[in-house]
Amino acid sequence: MDELDMTFVPQAVEKIGTGQEKVLEILQAIQGHYGYLPKEALELVCELTEITPASISGVSTFYSQFRHRPAGRHTIKVCIGTACHVKGGGQVYDAFKRQLGIGEEEDTDPQKLFTVEKVACLGCCMLAPVIQIQAQAIQIDNITYGHLSSEQVPMVLKDFLEQQKAQAREADSRDYAKSDKEVGQIRICLDSSCVASGSGKVYEALKEAVKETGAKIKVKSVGCTGMSFLAPLVEVVTADGISFRYANVMPADGKAIVLRHFKPKTIKRKIRNTISTMLDKILTDEAWQPVTRYSVDVREKPVAGFLENQVHIATQHYGSIDPLDLEEYIHNDGFKALQKAVSELGPEKVISRIKLSGLRGRGGAGFPTHLKWSTVRNSDSVKKYLVCNGDEGDPGAFMDRMLIESYPYRVIEGAAIAAYAVGADEGYLYIRAEYPLAVKRMRQAIEACRQRGFLGSNILKTKFSLQLKIVAGAGAFVCGEETALIASIEGRRGIPRLRPPYPAISGLWGKPTLINNVETYTVIPWIIRNGPQAFAELGTAGSKGTKVFALAGKIARGGLVEIPMGISIRQIIEDVGGGIAGGLKLKAVQVGGPSGGCVPAELAHIPVDYETLNDIGAMMGSGGMVALDESDCMVDIARYFLEFTQNQSCGKCTFCRIGTRRMLDILERLCAGEGKKTDIQELEHLAHKIRNTSLCGLGRTAPNPVLSTIKYFRDEYEAHLEGRCPVGRCKALITYSITDDCIGCTLCAQHCPADAIEMRPYQKHEIDTDKCIRCGTCKSVCQTDAIKVD
Amino acid sequence: MPTITIDNRQVEVDNGATILDAAAKLGIEIPTMCFLKGYKPSTSCMVCVVKVNGSDNLVPACGTIAEEGMRVESDSEEVHQARKAALELLLSDHVGDCIGPCQAACPARMNIPLMIRQIAAGKLGDAIATVKKDIALAAVLGRICPKPCEQACRRTVFDEPVSICLLKRYVADLDLQSANPYSPACKPGRDKRVAIVGAGPAGLAAAYYLQIDGYSCTIFDDHEKPGGMLQYAVGEQQLPRDLLDNEIALVRKLGAGFQGTTRIGTTLTMEDLRRDFDAVFVAIGKLELGDAESMGLQTGPNGIAINNRTYETNLPGVFAGGGTVRKRRLAVRAVADGKEAAVAIGQYLSGRPVTGPPIAFNTRIGKLKDGEIEVFMAGVAKGNRVTPSPEGSGFSTRQARDEAARCMHCDCRKPQSCKLRQYARQYRAKPSRYKGQRRSFVQQLQHPDIIYEPGKCINCGLCIQIASQAREPLGLTFIGRGFDVRVAVPFDHSIAEGLKHAANQCVEACPTGALAFKGKNGSTGSPSRANSRDRPQNKHES
Repeated sequence: MDELDMTFVPQAVEKIGTGQEKVLEILQAIQGHYGYLPKEALELVCELTEITPASISGVSTFYSQFRHRPAGRHTIKVCIGTACHVKGGGQVYDAFKRQLGIGEEEDTDPQKLFTVEKVACLGCCMLAPVIQIQAQAIQIDNITYGHLSSEQVPMVLKDFLEQQKAQAREADSRDYAKSDKEVGQIRICLDSSCVASGSGKVYEALKEAVKETGAKIKVKSVGCTGMSFLAPLVEVVTADGISFRYANVMPADGKAIVLRHFKPKTIKRKIRNTISTMLDKILTDEAWQPVTRYSVDVREKPVAGFLENQVHIATQHYGSIDPLDLEEYIHNDGFKALQKAVSELGPEKVISRIKLSGLRGRGGAGFPTHLKWSTVRNSDSVKKYLVCNGDEGDPGAFMDRMLIESYPYRVIEGAAIAAYAVGADEGYLYIRAEYPLAVKRMRQAIEACRQRGFLGSNILKTKFSLQLKIVAGAGAFVCGEETALIASIEGRRGIPRLRPPYPAISGLWGKPTLINNVETYTVIPWIIRNGPQAFAELGTAGSKGTKVFALAGKIARGGLVEIPMGISIRQIIEDVGGGIAGGLKLKAVQVGGPSGGCVPAELAHIPVDYETLNDIGAMMGSGGMVALDESDCMVDIARYFLEFTQNQSCGKCTFCRIGTRRMLDILERLCAGEGKKTDIQELEHLAHKIRNTSLCGLGRTAPNPVLSTIKYFRDEYEAHLEGRCPVGRCKALITYSITDDCIGCTLCAQHCPADAIEMRPYQKHEIDTDKCIRCGTCKSVCQTDAIKVD
Repeated sequence: MPTITIDNRQVEVDNGATILDAAAKLGIEIPTMCFLKGYKPSTSCMVCVVKVNGSDNLVPACGTIAEEGMRVESDSEEVHQARKAALELLLSDHVGDCIGPCQAACPARMNIPLMIRQIAAGKLGDAIATVKKDIALAAVLGRICPKPCEQACRRTVFDEPVSICLLKRYVADLDLQSANPYSPACKPGRDKRVAIVGAGPAGLAAAYYLQIDGYSCTIFDDHEKPGGMLQYAVGEQQLPRDLLDNEIALVRKLGAGFQGTTRIGTTLTMEDLRRDFDAVFVAIGKLELGDAESMGLQTGPNGIAINNRTYETNLPGVFAGGGTVRKRRLAVRAVADGKEAAVAIGQYLSGRPVTGPPIAFNTRIGKLKDGEIEVFMAGVAKGNRVTPSPEGSGFSTRQARDEAARCMHCDCRKPQSCKLRQYARQYRAKPSRYKGQRRSFVQQLQHPDIIYEPGKCINCGLCIQIASQAREPLGLTFIGRGFDVRVAVPFDHSIAEGLKHAANQCVEACPTGALAFKGKNGSTGSPSRANSRDRPQNKHES
């Protein structure tokens, strides 16, 4: 192998810094450059900085973002978040590995073209199952593919490689005309079937509208392969890579679409907003077969349906406000709350208002916000820090991502008010590595605020100063735990420590530190502006205000919703989310992700509030809500969550490190039909020990998904003990067979990736059970519903 | 200066003191593994958990600061169960054998690996002491033992088992032929007398260990000469009688009396013995019709009925062992019975609860995975086992040393100082309570003095702290996350490069056998201080 060129390393160190706390950033830069962390580079970092070999090795092996061996040219990140899991993300992962000929212990194909990785959650739950392909070459965009199934995998790979070639060509041609920078692209399919449904006329209308606005937008005809019921289908990709897709577009809509996304300087905001609302009707999330491609990052749009049940506080002005337009934010009462706090109220009154509002931490545990604030405020230390916890790692949750991407100024304003109230002058926004767009937007927003005097020294011409910095996480769910988060910001392994002392007393670098979650900060400006009573009027006795949930799973209309506390889970599922998609019945709602539990359908009438959820064995958590239908296996769900927490355990304390592994051993045994009589009892025994004796919240709540499913679905556990999976989900316990409905079309045989079906035209086909890998491909391609699962 | 209560006892402690400090002040022992005074508590092993103010959540005593008015429970059932669970979880992820498979298979639990290392190092005086600690008739057993140890020897996986029995015979023969054969010091006389009925291997062994423990024994036998079936059933070819007599003489040398041609039930009665002696041990070999009845002893399917742990019969103060209580009669089992019954009799005579010998705690690797035997073989002499010639003779010194070099040292290097083993026994933790996939057995041998076995590590991080404080250029670090976390030297360097000067300190701080001295020259430890903590096992643990 050729020797690697190490000149990048000193350059990166020079730019980033040499302190211990810089280690994550340095590692991220090195990985960005080399595609992995070459040992020589790490050794060189130790020579150039304060970082020791022990430290850099410990840190770089702790976070899952980092690789220590070269990756393929492109990285396929297969999301295995909850929504993707219940919709078959695991099969998609298997299919990629199979298709690329990657061995069990390997992650890269022999030609070193693709590396396939599982990621905890891409935060695109509405596109489940979803994957993202990252090209190593920097000028090529990441591409997201959604609504996938295993038989589409070959097409995805083909599509990606073609896209990549096309993009490379475009990149080349862009070099010729740099001044002519495109601000976006509109894609429309002009295939014959689409032209037949009118796309030719829409194409003309779009071109006309683009001409009128004078924007540098390319209207491009793209290949399409079906989905005629949505045609004409228009895809708009904005300059920052966000993709919007409109179905059944009429020529008359062309102008509105262009205006919505590419505003000419002259157009009035109000008009634009009207256009937005109008167009929401035809915005679509439907699958675009055979493969649905999305550019860079897909934004979860707020669920528009049944607005009367939602109350928008954290998500105020949803869908109508440009995330990075500071003028627009100010125009919509932005920074009025900060102004009021610093010039009218003063710190004490701010805290007393937060107290009156009844706000409790939105990160999951629900600790009264004002108590944290006063503890930090009352500490004697001159130096205090503020931290915004945006390390949203729960699979099936994307609230923080959406709030930061859509309302970065609101997050900043809330944090600034908090910093002012507690007396902090330095703050860190810790944002998950998996959210590059959130990091990018927040960086731009901070810069804009600094220029306008909302951040920096002497904010709003007062003595109040606040420097905000961004720390990008590196893939460790446990860093959502506040002491682990602190360790991570300080450049150490994200290991929680024993509390007390709480961070409010001794946090970042031993100083008093206020740590709140993104959503908590986001509602602060509203409370200050509208008064604490207005907030406290919403909700229940113990849980005030609203809560943002990421609604996903087997739901008709998923997405981000903000509802007042106290409405029932059923209302959220049925009224806001439009009920279960696909004709099956609601079985349970998983609330709170890996720390939460499953609320069975018969308890769906309970109100959303911290205590009620705890009482039934679930947890508010940070707000993931995944609807499960009758086809979901609850033992598999429990196994899924435990696999997640077990994988994310920091590995420090015995109960979490080994105890969750032993629980997972039992669950894996059950799902494989190898359970022992005492297994359920043993699970409960371990669960209680782990809950009461783990060091941090991750360990203490890890058994919740198991305990709650045993509590409400014990019969399913017992069925697995007998070697049955009642819903036919656990691979080892099911067999695929072909019924007499088979017409001999050979589709199943053509698609079977394991050669388990012999091709016999016009005859009934058969599945060789020994060869069958239970991937479900035959079932999904069969047109006569002749595949039976027992 | 907060005052707190632990187990209903009040104590005032300094500000900043932990619950563990407070407990120490009260003399309450709280088990700790990952904690070491002078280092930052890592609060990771969770063996020191206590209950505070009635909360459901238990907290580690080592890191929890004592606060005014705290009520702490350190001795409740709940706390014990939690500690036990922590230990069982740690054990479920522990790859190592406390005692070697050979020793575990030996009915007498003789410390075979230690004997072998002593032979390899030429320390034959130590070796005979090791043998005789558990096998009173070593030269005899060196000839007639069915060798269950060799069937269990892990070396079999690679080629052939170590020739353990011949090695033992080598040690015993040399000793017996020496001018001054090994004769352990006896404790001062205790003025208690034990009658032993039957001068076979069980009776002789019991007499041997009771004499050492300070009890005076008289052995009765209906034959003229002592030895039982060894004297009257085994062929002369297999067991030369002069050798038997010489070894029996060593038992008598310790002070045991022998009265031949005395049949209990006819010449003397059990009542006589119970009247004239403080305890009786019945070891008459195969029971004949009427034997038990004549002594007033109850029988079961295997012979005289006894408590299997304590060897007690239905008569108070009367114990029984050896072939007389078992269907299968093995000399080595009989010798083991004699030794164990001696412990129970000692307990009885000194007024302690009669519980029998303590059970040594043991974890086992069990069946090896592919490639693991090669790990065990690293640095061990290759080659098939040495066969003495002519067949039936013993080893020469050269042969014994060559054969001893074939031992793979399966047993732990810190069987006595390992805290995991110590607390596992104390809390009655079951090593196989939680079964799961076992990680691979790994040994790092590059360091000249110490050995690292990651499979025994509990991730306390003490060595990492020590290496860091010692300013080791590379040092140690945690690698990975979650269940896969392992302590290792950065950048895949060897343990020798990671620990250039803090190695000894790390070994001493390591709570398990993960870091241990290599143990040259036949001892389990190095010539350093650790030696004192890991001296050969004492009498009551084997």
